[in-house]
Amino acid sequence: MSDDAREIAARALKAVDGGDAEAHVLCERSGLARFASSEVHQPTLIENCVVTLRVIRDGKIGTSSTNRLDDDGLKLLAQRAAEAADSGVAEEGFPGLPGSMPLPEVEGFDEAVAAIGPEDQARLARAAIDASTTTGQFGFFTSGVTELAIVSSAGVEAHQSMTDATTLVVSADDGASGYATQTSWSSDGVDPAAVGREAAEKAARTRSAKTIEPAPYRAVLEPYAFADLINYFGYDAFGANGLLEERSYLAGRLGEKIMDEKVSIADDALDPRGLPKRFDFEGVPKQRVQLVENGVARGVVWDRTTAARAGDGHETTGHAPPPVYRQYGPLTFALTVDGGEVDSVEELCELVGDGIYVTRLHYLGIVDPREGVITGMTRDGTFRIRDGKIAEPLVNLRFTVSVPQMLEDVPGLGRERKLVNGSDFYGERYPIGTLVPAIATARFNITGVGSEPGL
Amino acid sequence: MRDLCKAAVDAALGAGATYADARAVVRRSQAVSTKNGRVENVTDLETEGIGVRVLVGGAWGFSCDRRLDADGARDAALRACAFALAAAGSREKALAPAPASSGTYRTPVEKDPFEVSLSEKVDLCVRAEEALRHPDVKVTEAFVRAQREHKVLVTSDGAEIEQELVETGGGIDALAASDGGFQMRSYPSAHGGSSAQGGWEYVENLGLEREAPRVAEQAAALLRADVCPPGMTTVVIDAEQMELQVHESVGHPIELDRVYGSEASYAGTSFLKAGDLGSLRYGSDKMNITADSTTPGGLGTFGFDDEGVPARREPIVVEGVLRNFLTSRETAETLGAGQGGSMRADGWNRMPLIRMTNLHLEPGEGSFDDLLADVDDGIYLETNKSWSIDDKRLNFQFGTQIAWEIKNGKLGRMLRDATYTGITPEFWGSLDAVAGPEAWHMQGLTNCGKGQPGQGAHVSHGSSPCRFRGVQVGVKA
Repeated sequence: MSDDAREIAARALKAVDGGDAEAHVLCERSGLARFASSEVHQPTLIENCVVTLRVIRDGKIGTSSTNRLDDDGLKLLAQRAAEAADSGVAEEGFPGLPGSMPLPEVEGFDEAVAAIGPEDQARLARAAIDASTTTGQFGFFTSGVTELAIVSSAGVEAHQSMTDATTLVVSADDGASGYATQTSWSSDGVDPAAVGREAAEKAARTRSAKTIEPAPYRAVLEPYAFADLINYFGYDAFGANGLLEERSYLAGRLGEKIMDEKVSIADDALDPRGLPKRFDFEGVPKQRVQLVENGVARGVVWDRTTAARAGDGHETTGHAPPPVYRQYGPLTFALTVDGGEVDSVEELCELVGDGIYVTRLHYLGIVDPREGVITGMTRDGTFRIRDGKIAEPLVNLRFTVSVPQMLEDVPGLGRERKLVNGSDFYGERYPIGTLVPAIATARFNITGVGSEPGL
Repeated sequence: MRDLCKAAVDAALGAGATYADARAVVRRSQAVSTKNGRVENVTDLETEGIGVRVLVGGAWGFSCDRRLDADGARDAALRACAFALAAAGSREKALAPAPASSGTYRTPVEKDPFEVSLSEKVDLCVRAEEALRHPDVKVTEAFVRAQREHKVLVTSDGAEIEQELVETGGGIDALAASDGGFQMRSYPSAHGGSSAQGGWEYVENLGLEREAPRVAEQAAALLRADVCPPGMTTVVIDAEQMELQVHESVGHPIELDRVYGSEASYAGTSFLKAGDLGSLRYGSDKMNITADSTTPGGLGTFGFDDEGVPARREPIVVEGVLRNFLTSRETAETLGAGQGGSMRADGWNRMPLIRMTNLHLEPGEGSFDDLLADVDDGIYLETNKSWSIDDKRLNFQFGTQIAWEIKNGKLGRMLRDATYTGITPEFWGSLDAVAGPEAWHMQGLTNCGKGQPGQGAHVSHGSSPCRFRGVQVGVKA
């Protein structure tokens, strides 16, 4: 990457005239070879570097950003951030900028992934495409390098370079579709052909899908489906804002048993099996936070602002969001669910006996955040489970579930966990993912039926 | 910017491109939000750069560069060509012919939102929020935004276009909580208020302070309201929720790139097929849908799309029958119908995609009260709370912030946690009345997602309140 994020951040900070200030620089170099009907149709190369300046003057906070990195651009940036600060109202109880703290060393950067260039990206997309000779391949291969630097007038100097690579494939034609995806920061986890094969093999099993009656079913969810569901639930439930504002499921329920004792959930950006991060968007060290332990609600994630507002001894856990998303409060970007003792999805199906098997979910919507109710559709590989085995394919199904209710009775969790990409690559690239096993549940409420799988 | 775009196009043609377009974009956006009396965000963001799209050997390539200078333009063009060569497939792309358009377009603005100080924006939010105060309301929020996008497009087939699009918007939310219950009311719309193209006058005319007491009262009252009972019933849906219904169950399915599978891996496909054009019955004869990129104030309004095709108004569904898709030049050529005109990119570092412009349900006749008058027993639904729809845009489920029962043609008790669900053509087939032009209004939403890498789009929809027979309401977990 040609731009040095640390140098840019230092220059941005130097441009500030008065007040405390914090400069974030997020640089991206990425390529995404998107394909449909087994042809690359939307190949996109991005190089960008965004500097965001947070200025605090007399307790008032203003934020500005630009990607003009010359001295004039940074001078204008500093002026606008100062004007924004002067326009605000002093925030009572604002804890100020954090000072420098020792940061953990983490993995998350691989020279081999960083070296993947446009020709390689196109070649790796082709490998995913060529993995199917029957159904068409739809998806993408992407890889990128992200560099984040934060420096502040309070002494923070934080920096991390990250790599990430994701292959995603929907293998489909009229009446059949399958799905697979793979994400890793390391080249060891880049195998687009395997992803393409998994999706195609799944698709081949989905023809002549049958319908079923809406009702609660026992179910097995693959990691792809479970990751989506737990992320949506976590968006409201596991942040301090929802707790303080009494609108999340965990409000008033900390310390209570809310799920099966087999379920333990954490946010752990330090785990090398995920997409590791050293620090949050205030430069505060990342911490592993236990959210649910053996089914008992244990906590939420905090940043310094929400911890100060709570005023009862809470401290930041290293989960400050990017400054322009400050209104959302601290966010879980690295959810992990502990694995269980079941060796395969086939064994999970045996535990379910009679039910449904779900590969992937689509278009989730939060119906009731207070009760953790989420609706959505199954997609790209839904099957009936009969006599403990995966049986006939099913049409796409609408579900409406309370996530805690779904996790109240868990016959088993897979031993192996999978990292599932959590980014749709809107805005600036910042790799996030969820590390989850497959899961069996005694209650997955189907509330409607949709169309056959496929195009 | 024009010269840079020309240089980029020339560089691409010199590197073997048979077609090239270059867009230089400078986008500035301000946002202010306050929450519970605190200033949550005061942001002033700017981004600029150039994006170059090429066809080389029949394959697309796209690259971009943040540097708005000669090096940035040339490098983006050459990278795009190299990526196209590397990614080439076997099917050559062709574009529908487009007139060699040259022109300019600017959003008409009475009051430049960037001449309105951030202090004034903060003050408006603080005042609106104060008007939301209520004993049962635990969280009050107010927010306003402004955006100006200046962009130049040059294409190798002769288009040279300069546009400046200005948006403003705002909204308020009240969150009431009591005894473990939690309810929310929003104005003028949920999920970020409403926006329009235009000056600060749009925000001033929203009347955020004026509406705040009603919003707070309703949020509090919902805590004590009964739950919407399940069943099949007649529903009357307000204009705002109808606008999202149009967006999700009409706007996305008629995007021709979805019909052709280009979005299969993310946003999904469509239950519509290319051969449905002119024959598919989408809904009842009360259903008339129009795509209009000329609507004054619409977020999908422009002079030209990002392929240089001039703005226009065209019927999509006429008396319930599908008459047009939303197209790009490439998909129009494949279909053999249409001429493009719906291509937009989210800034300089994304490829243009087919996006909704302004998609409206045309008004019918009569008033809101007339809709109610023909209902003996039903539910009135207002303001979106949640939404979900399948990948083919058939099976949907929406929740609304508030509802009322309808008894003998009149609104009755307030209801909470209302949901309704249906299958797109069946649901639109059950449309039996659309209120008239007096009840028609337009909202702009800024959270429409599509594409990989993801792109946000800003679109507007207009509708009047509507009545549907035999709809499933009250879905429970």
